[in-house]
Amino acid sequence: MEEERRRLAEAISTAAADKAPLRLRGGGTKDFYGARLDGKVLDTRGYHGVVNYEPSELVVTVRSGTPLVELEKTLAERGQMLAFEPPHFGQGATVGGCVATGLSGPRRASAGSVRDYILGVRLMDGRGQDLHFGGEVMKNVAGYDLSRLATGSLGTLGLLLEVSFKVLPIPKSEATLRFEMDERGAIEKMNEWAGKPLPVSATCFHDGRLTVRLSGAEAGVRAAREKLGGESVGDAPAFWAAVREQTFEAFRGAEPLWRLSLRSATPPLGLPGRQVIEWNGGLRWIASRAPAQQMREAAAKAGGHATLFRSHDKAASVFHPLPKALFDIHLRLKKTFDPAGILNPGRMYEGF
Amino acid sequence: MQSARNKPSAPRRTIPTELLQALRQRFGERFSTARAVLDQHGRDESPFEATPPDGVVFAATTDEVAEAVRLCGQHRVPIIAFGAGSSIEGHVLAVQGGITIDLSQMNKVLMVNSEDLTATVEAGVTRKQLNAAIKDTGLFFPIDPGADACLGGMAATRASGTNAVRYGTMRENVLGLTVVTADGKIIRTARRARKSSAGYDLTRIFVGSEGTLGIITEVTVRLYPQPEAVSAAVCSFPEVGNAVHTVIQTIQVGVPVARAELLDALTVRAVNRHSKTTLKEQPMLFLEFHGTPSAVREQAETVQEIARENGGEDFEWAVHPEDRTRLWNARHKAFHACIQLRPGARAFTTDACVPISRLADCIRETIEDTRTSSLPCPIFGHVGDGNFHCVIVADPNNAAEMQEAERLNQRVMQRALAMDGTCTGEHGVGMHKIPLLKEEFGDDAVDLMRRLKMAWDPLNILNPGKVVVP
Repeated sequence: MEEERRRLAEAISTAAADKAPLRLRGGGTKDFYGARLDGKVLDTRGYHGVVNYEPSELVVTVRSGTPLVELEKTLAERGQMLAFEPPHFGQGATVGGCVATGLSGPRRASAGSVRDYILGVRLMDGRGQDLHFGGEVMKNVAGYDLSRLATGSLGTLGLLLEVSFKVLPIPKSEATLRFEMDERGAIEKMNEWAGKPLPVSATCFHDGRLTVRLSGAEAGVRAAREKLGGESVGDAPAFWAAVREQTFEAFRGAEPLWRLSLRSATPPLGLPGRQVIEWNGGLRWIASRAPAQQMREAAAKAGGHATLFRSHDKAASVFHPLPKALFDIHLRLKKTFDPAGILNPGRMYEGF
Repeated sequence: MQSARNKPSAPRRTIPTELLQALRQRFGERFSTARAVLDQHGRDESPFEATPPDGVVFAATTDEVAEAVRLCGQHRVPIIAFGAGSSIEGHVLAVQGGITIDLSQMNKVLMVNSEDLTATVEAGVTRKQLNAAIKDTGLFFPIDPGADACLGGMAATRASGTNAVRYGTMRENVLGLTVVTADGKIIRTARRARKSSAGYDLTRIFVGSEGTLGIITEVTVRLYPQPEAVSAAVCSFPEVGNAVHTVIQTIQVGVPVARAELLDALTVRAVNRHSKTTLKEQPMLFLEFHGTPSAVREQAETVQEIARENGGEDFEWAVHPEDRTRLWNARHKAFHACIQLRPGARAFTTDACVPISRLADCIRETIEDTRTSSLPCPIFGHVGDGNFHCVIVADPNNAAEMQEAERLNQRVMQRALAMDGTCTGEHGVGMHKIPLLKEEFGDDAVDLMRRLKMAWDPLNILNPGKVVVP
């Protein structure tokens, strides 16, 4: 693997010297996500494998080119999992892409996001320097928290080489319940339940039906099930996989798919299009041809922001535009990591 | 005592009279250069000698903080944010002089959203104040460092506490910040939504930046539903290793332990002496479980079984609040009891955090190392996280003792690094772990942190001499 690492370092330093853009890529399953794709592909899949796995420590360190399915299989063999339930969006998804996009799945509202499970990273910056931040310990306050910064930075700050995750035991028991109700009622219920000590691990509302997953110790799940009522759902794992992977029928179609991140208690938005609500109301997917401005204004009014998640037409900025002071801070951060501006330029915002 | 450890990396900067005049004109009585006020702002709970600033501004609003920063920036004068003054690594010491901005008057709880489980507070609100304000909502804020620290300081130092094993640290629980940057601009790192994917995760960068990248003036945090039931347990063990293994196995089987704290035999002795108790002077484990009534009972039983297999004795558990408080009494009093081993002394509190499989070795080696010292070094820690503190109690007027304490502290940090751990799990870098960062991450990584600092604060006015030095 040392040789592969040397190859990656060389590719980056050469590109930096030539100021030639590089497009960091694993399985390419998330190519659709983000703004512009630019530069020569630098494939990370040659840098793969588990570096260290200590089930008793709840820690795994893995190279970025490792297929996500492989990592999840390794963990499952020891009764453990990535608690943020990452979406794959295709066969070849890699660990690097999972962390670089920072996308989490249904369990996020209760368990936390990808970045909450990052203990450390090994990152190659835009000068080809091999850097370590954080480590394999549960808590570390030595210096700036650059490992979390790398999460969700879409490869614009550096090439992730290795990632140390905190992992969790797979819950002993799960149950999925379904309730018929309208959107307003569902949003209220989800928020009400989230404020109570109930083992709710995922929620999904679509088309008059609220689906709720409970996870935890057997006694706790049983008690909550009795308390909540509802109808038991048969093939629950397949349902949640379809939500996570967006193979659900509501996600399909030619319209642009918007991802609105809001205060969870925000009442129904009344935007045109098909909608799926997750994360207790904090995440609203809307497949719609409504103008970008309408989406962004609705999101901003609800204290959040709108991302153009999937679309052939990306004329509208993919991510919520940043105020000038924030943009300036981003720019200086980008220059610190990638002075030549060669790593995934324009993937997040035009200008860096 | 002025030792090498306390020596600033750069001399005090000159403070122009015009700046002092401008601050006085702008802030009136809320700007002070009184000796007592300066002295009070020149120290925290570290063993370091007081290093006062040249003036203190008591800010009332974010705009005022921004104004003060701009004024200082015009004269390249250092600005140090100050909250409760409860940091333990000299974070707030004005090592290059300058102006301290005291945020304790910014103490309003701005918003409690019991629906979406968040609260937004001004930086000077303390953790106890926040919990008092939300008591009736059925929610609580779980992060509990030893002191009644303020949220701004807790965010700036990425604080944690005894609940971290279940609820995380400030790193996981801060959702957004209002920050004044080095050029006096006001930014918000996230909107009110829980998840902000617009741009880089600036929140996480400011959390733990110790006032060197910006001044935090407002904090939005995550709240949690109060557990339906809580149970507490204590147990004695013949050796530290047995206690640590009990915790490892507990976490392994998926028992969602909320707190797991260890006291070593010397700490138990200190507590006995301090509170006139008769606890067995052996390593003790303190546990807490949150959940439904049936779940916490089940959990306590599971753990009792694991503890027994590991040689645990005198297992006791309780669900009623007063009984839990009684059981946990020794843990709550530990730090104070340790300091009282030598009245008038100050404490060097080490902060190693190692992979949990190395924790027992690390603590055992530390006990062996400190046994030969003349200074008492009781140890307690957050076992579930692999983090422990050795409280080295030394007389601040005795140079030899202070040097010995620092030597022991350095050895604990080196031991942690040798075991793939960190020199600081929750207290922060502050003044004297700067060289250790290079050992932990290497020159290039630290150089990148330094370049980031210079990119955001080119005049090096924000709390200079901490975390990274130019």
